[in-house]
Amino acid sequence: MDCHNEECSRPQEEEDIMDIPLDDPEANRAAAKIQAGFRGHMTRKKMKPEDKAEGEERPEDRGQ
Amino acid sequence: MGRAVNVGTSATFLLHFETFGPSAADYREAFGLFDRVGDNKVAYNQVADIMRALGQNPTNKEVNRLLGMPSADDMTAKRVEFEGFLPMLQTIINSPNKAGYDDYVEGLRVFDKEGNGTVMGAELRIVLSTLGEKMSADEIDALMAGQEDENGCVNYETFVKHIMSV
Repeated sequence: MDCHNEECSRPQEEEDIMDIPLDDPEANRAAAKIQAGFRGHMTRKKMKPEDKAEGEERPEDRGQ
Repeated sequence: MGRAVNVGTSATFLLHFETFGPSAADYREAFGLFDRVGDNKVAYNQVADIMRALGQNPTNKEVNRLLGMPSADDMTAKRVEFEGFLPMLQTIINSPNKAGYDDYVEGLRVFDKEGNGTVMGAELRIVLSTLGEKMSADEIDALMAGQEDENGCVNYETFVKHIMSV
């Protein structure tokens, strides 16, 4: 994967494209913990009353 | 003064729960709110959400393990009664290493390239959709709504406080 050529499509000069550690168990574990927290938050938020007319109070929407 | 959570609404339940903290009765009420069939059970695929409604943040992996590694069919077809659910909930409640504010902040700080307290929303989206228990685009949109500034940056300490407020 050499990119000496400027026409190479690999955007080395753009802002850092993360090296996403797809195989790193530690990174995945950390990500899963964060995602668990996010999902918890979103479920609880969905159950709260909305101030708008369209109250999301119907339990049907949840738990599916 | 009774707990006005009757069949009530989930919102009423949650408000009560947040004000007074959970009790055994609350666990049963939450469980009941999710029973759409009326057999005093809930589907396997609802278990994680009930736990979340009760203030927990289980990973899907933890829940699957507690359910005995169910297949996709099991998740929709199988149901569990409250007495089966409660010990699973207890396990989650008692699990060590639960993430707190610092864990979330430190986890996100990894992506703070400039060390200025912000992460690029775009980077966060990529991480959330490719690592760990991948989130869908819809989940991510819901999560990030209103969190990015005009430059697409997220102040992650503010973000985490927001996450933990509910």
